[in-house]
Amino acid sequence: MIRREFLYYGKKLLVFAASILVLSIVVFYVARLAPGDPLVSYYSDRVEKMSPEERAWAEEKLGLSDPIHVQYVRWLSGALHGDFGISFKYKADVLEVIRGRLVNTLLLGGTGVILIFGLALLLGILCAWFEDRWLDRIICKAGTIISCIPEFWLSLVAILIFAVWLRVLPSSGAYSAGKSHDIADRIIHLILPMSIVVVEHLWYYAYMIRNKILEEVRADYVLLAKSKGMSRRKIMFRHCLRNVMPSYLSIMAISVPHILGGTYIVETVFSYPGIGALSYESARYQDYHLLMLLCILTGAVVILCNLLAQVINERIDPRIRANEAAEMLEVKQIG
Amino acid sequence: MDDQGFACAGIRPLSHGPAPQKQRWYRGKPIVSILLLAGIILGCLFCNAFIPKDPTYMDLFHYDEAPGREFLFGTDAMGRDIFSIVWYGGRLSLLIGFSATAISTAIAVVFGAVSGLAPRWLDAVLMRLTEILLSVPNLLIIILIQAILGKPNVLSISFAIGITSWTGIAKIVRTEVRQMRSSEYVLAARCMGGGFFHILWRHLMPNFISSIMFMVVMNVRNAIAAESTLSFMGIGLPWEVISWGSMLSLSEKALLSGSWWMILIPGLFLVVTLLCVTNIGNWLRKQTNCRQSNL
Repeated sequence: MIRREFLYYGKKLLVFAASILVLSIVVFYVARLAPGDPLVSYYSDRVEKMSPEERAWAEEKLGLSDPIHVQYVRWLSGALHGDFGISFKYKADVLEVIRGRLVNTLLLGGTGVILIFGLALLLGILCAWFEDRWLDRIICKAGTIISCIPEFWLSLVAILIFAVWLRVLPSSGAYSAGKSHDIADRIIHLILPMSIVVVEHLWYYAYMIRNKILEEVRADYVLLAKSKGMSRRKIMFRHCLRNVMPSYLSIMAISVPHILGGTYIVETVFSYPGIGALSYESARYQDYHLLMLLCILTGAVVILCNLLAQVINERIDPRIRANEAAEMLEVKQIG
Repeated sequence: MDDQGFACAGIRPLSHGPAPQKQRWYRGKPIVSILLLAGIILGCLFCNAFIPKDPTYMDLFHYDEAPGREFLFGTDAMGRDIFSIVWYGGRLSLLIGFSATAISTAIAVVFGAVSGLAPRWLDAVLMRLTEILLSVPNLLIIILIQAILGKPNVLSISFAIGITSWTGIAKIVRTEVRQMRSSEYVLAARCMGGGFFHILWRHLMPNFISSIMFMVVMNVRNAIAAESTLSFMGIGLPWEVISWGSMLSLSEKALLSGSWWMILIPGLFLVVTLLCVTNIGNWLRKQTNCRQSNL
């Protein structure tokens, strides 16, 4: 039994490592093959005045003159030892460059995910409870409309209303100058970006919860519980919700990167110093090492979340695994 | 048999209730959305007939002017008449929406069909590949593609958007094709030597087209939204090429000067279009009764 567990998680780990490896190769090659001059991000304007010899020397120094596969192997062996290279633009270790900003993004994205998770559940239950009554209808209509609005425009309108017209909230940054440790100040700066992130994604998940619960309340066991004399509330929370939870959990796990990706745009509009603006810069200015680390980071989060969703499904709800086995059997019979 | 006989058998005679109401042809159809969308599309296509100003002309005496009698929707920071450029710019936004969807659908159908018809191991590899592709943030892929294709224009942006948005459709196509691959007509076509594209076009496509139709419509919406986001962030169309997104890219300045019309008016056009397309898509989904994707 323990052996089986071991094999199960070992296999998942192997898949994870292989995916990361493939991802790093793809990003490395695509980034190097894309036209553009990485020297510009290191030496900025001085590149134009360089003689060919100086150029060759600079490329040699930054390790850009070797064939791509040699560069890749060098990068990989460094990365395995925890050395991800230096950022050309910031001329510092990429880990150093990322550290401060990662906290900001996690603060925005992480809290956003938790809020979305809770609020979507509440909203979904509310809609399912009042199915097809006016409350449900109003929420559904409003949700459809809001989920249509592009994120950046919603942010712009929010800035226009709250920062320009009402002047109650700051329009950009993560903290006021010189107040980077003031928690209240940080929270005030978080309100607008956070509400945009939450509002923009909320409906998608709430609607899913609503539909899943509606499917669930039409099942036979609800009838049985009702005939036993159970109250509506008890049936909803004890039985229906419990059946909905595994799939909701796995969907939320998959959607974490999606929500984090959404924060990129919000970060840019609010000039919030996070990972988003950084990865945009690094891709534009060929800051290879920074780009690699950011891609690997986001990729790792995505793949990890996907695997987590699989594990949740297979552990909490073994029916899914049984279905897969059945499908395999079917294919074997046909083939 | 008379009524008596029915009574004996325990069957009640039909009561003559009110005649069933005649169904109106437009019931349940998103008529408002279709009309609004048609209005916007036609208005953009034939905008030359009614727009009062040259959309590219920069009136340096009337820049940053609030909506008024001469400039219905005001002017932007470059002195262009917003009423004119909003119609004119819609052309490019819609064009990119449709062409990006065409590209992504084509990729998705071919990829999904290959994956669906392939042996199991190849299928697993292909699906894993799409997952890896999904794990790179779209924005980065688009920036890289833009860098490769050079100066952004309508075609390169459609391509960049199309190439990042096909995975959802491809997954549905794959599932559908997997179910159909061993049905008799496909086997028969294969035995007679039908090639891959022949089978795809004549036998598979007609069967799965209805289940991806909803996704295709939603892709149009996503592509329009993506174009505006990209142009807004400065990696899409430059501001002198007019589209809804590039109009909004001037909004940083508008925020500073408090010119709300520069932000709200193009945005409203954008949002109304997106909403109409979404409504049509939702209606299509109900129509085909395709199971809603859980992802």
